[in-house]
Amino acid sequence: MTAATEASTAGRDAEDAVAHLVAGLRAERRSVRRRPAVTLAGVGAVVLIGFCAEILVGGTADIGLAEIPGALVGQGSGLADFVIFETRLPRALTALLVGALFGLSGVVCQRLFSNVLATPDIIGVSAGASAGAVAVLVGAGVGGLAVQAGAVLGAVAAAALIFGLSRRGGASTYRLVLVGIGVGACCSAITSYLLTFADSTTSTRAMRWMIGSLAGARWDEVVVLAVVLGAAMAAVLLIGPDLETLRLGDLLSAALGTRVQAARVGVLLLGAPLAAIATSVAGPVAFIALVAGPIAARLLARSGPLPAALVGAAVLLLADVAAQTAPYVSPVPTGVLTGLIGAPVLVLLLLHRKADA
Amino acid sequence: MRGGGTSTNVLPHGGSTEPIALGMDDPRAVLGAVTTTTRRRVAGLVALVLLLGLVALLSLALGARVIPPSTVARAVADALAGASPESYDATVIATERVPRTVVGLLVGLCLGGSGAIMQAITRNPLVDGGILGVELGAACAVVAGIVAFGLNGVVATFWLALAGAVATAVVVYGVSRLTRAASTAVSLVIAGAATAAMLGAVINLLIIRDESAFSRYRFWSIGQLAGRGDAIGELWPFAVAGLVLALLCGPTLNALMLGEAVAAGLGVRVRRAQLATALVAVLLCAAAVAAAGPIGFIGLVGAHLARLVVGGDQRLLLPFSMVAGATVLLAADAPGRLAPGHGEIAVGIMTAVVGTPFFVVLARTRRLVEA
Repeated sequence: MTAATEASTAGRDAEDAVAHLVAGLRAERRSVRRRPAVTLAGVGAVVLIGFCAEILVGGTADIGLAEIPGALVGQGSGLADFVIFETRLPRALTALLVGALFGLSGVVCQRLFSNVLATPDIIGVSAGASAGAVAVLVGAGVGGLAVQAGAVLGAVAAAALIFGLSRRGGASTYRLVLVGIGVGACCSAITSYLLTFADSTTSTRAMRWMIGSLAGARWDEVVVLAVVLGAAMAAVLLIGPDLETLRLGDLLSAALGTRVQAARVGVLLLGAPLAAIATSVAGPVAFIALVAGPIAARLLARSGPLPAALVGAAVLLLADVAAQTAPYVSPVPTGVLTGLIGAPVLVLLLLHRKADA
Repeated sequence: MRGGGTSTNVLPHGGSTEPIALGMDDPRAVLGAVTTTTRRRVAGLVALVLLLGLVALLSLALGARVIPPSTVARAVADALAGASPESYDATVIATERVPRTVVGLLVGLCLGGSGAIMQAITRNPLVDGGILGVELGAACAVVAGIVAFGLNGVVATFWLALAGAVATAVVVYGVSRLTRAASTAVSLVIAGAATAAMLGAVINLLIIRDESAFSRYRFWSIGQLAGRGDAIGELWPFAVAGLVLALLCGPTLNALMLGEAVAAGLGVRVRRAQLATALVAVLLCAAAVAAAGPIGFIGLVGAHLARLVVGGDQRLLLPFSMVAGATVLLAADAPGRLAPGHGEIAVGIMTAVVGTPFFVVLARTRRLVEA
């Protein structure tokens, strides 16, 4: 028995030593990471590259390089003007804005629940948005802003339902994730049911949309997205301090002067509609909201919501370029690619998460 | 000495996740518990079988075409006697509703059984073949085989489904074992959800290029009982074999439910037993998916309804769970046909609508999250 105890003590010492070493290495790496300006510029460059790639190679039409600058401002000749100005530019802008919105809403929700898994796409808020949007599309037969409104209503209803159902003797974030997975499955089923009412062209389009697709982006949607993103950025800057203190736990943040419940509801009311607007335009593109926050946190020592938005935009732009140009698989809806890439990332997040998170 | 030490570590955990009657202090209390339990079990069995009969009748009687019950009864009797149907109504019964009911019955039995086994092996009341992604894994392999290799034939479909289901089960279980989430219950569910999301993307990738495949498999991949009579005609031996094997698993699962250390102490070869029972569960899942596509939540709801009636004894729980699964599946399928609008509601949608409140209630009330 004593021998065993000794052995286990020795083992623990070794473990401690390893943990110390790992902590040291992490600190080292973090010091490398402490150049936010450089890293941010790097992410920005990736966004720019993705954006240019969308314009240059996003699609099958062969447009000469010389024609592109003119076409970008709407002054090109027939075909180039149509392809660049009416198709590729709105698509690239949509990818940028939708990615940023997903990233922003994801990181806001992750902060709010102190759980990396509590993003709109995992906990069923995006599924609620889809159900709301499809209900408007099929039920009322109208497009445009009404669809966005339906998506927002669906998302807020789903978020309220999930939030309400998971509060039981103190909301556990894991219960939130479980309840969210359940509510999300129900919302998907409702969406599938609603689609049986649609005629075949609408339902084929809607099914591609449900996978998540940026094809068919339009200028009016870009305007809506840009306005929403601008407002969201302002709101995030306003509630930023509360978001920071919420991470410290309910008690401590209350002691620091944050009205915890009010902040929770406020952040939720911000995060859910952001995901909903993005979903209503591009469909529930999988995993962008989930991966943007953690990637930003890996790149930057102190990452706020804005870097996450930038990372979301970069990821979606690259995924969309790949969806249009990758050999063997293209063209596919973007959501297929983000699903393929994002699920292993989710598994990695599960594997590498600290036990307490 | 060492074995005793580990078992005290494990037992309270087992007791907290699953209600296992271990109270042996007062013999009278135990006897009283036994008689009330027996009464409850008999009553539960009668009720469950009656309910299954009722929903099977409903499944024969309900549909887009209104057929009077007397015609239904005569047509079913004729169909069972092997006589060829006389009227149009009788043809509808014999060629559409009877096969559909049989498919629902067998698929429900399979899914209910596999759900009970999976919950027992993982000692986690939140899982079934759908939530763990195993059904979608089977579906993905089937779609891949058909689209990429042009495989056809129901039996080939079954083997593909089995391969896909086994691979998915291994991946999901491996990921959940490697994670350090707050509890294995949660990490299993999340690993399953992640795998399911990825498999869904793969299915979409496979079918999106091919318009005809898209329209066909998009609906198959939700889960359908309609028009699958021919499939079950070839698949029933696999399903029945799986069901029989599952019924034999009861004692082993009872031992596994006590925790790995206690099971090993009782003389069970834990790894081998886990592997064998898991294979049976996956076999049942694969047979169900090959027959009707991935239908979610039946295993979950079936196993819990059965547990309400018979408690934790796996020998009884397994058959009850199968019957409960079939009942729930048929009960979900029949009203879906009466939906207004074009066609009917696919049974996979109905089971999700029925099953998700169940899942949410479980996630709320069970003390899983802290376990």
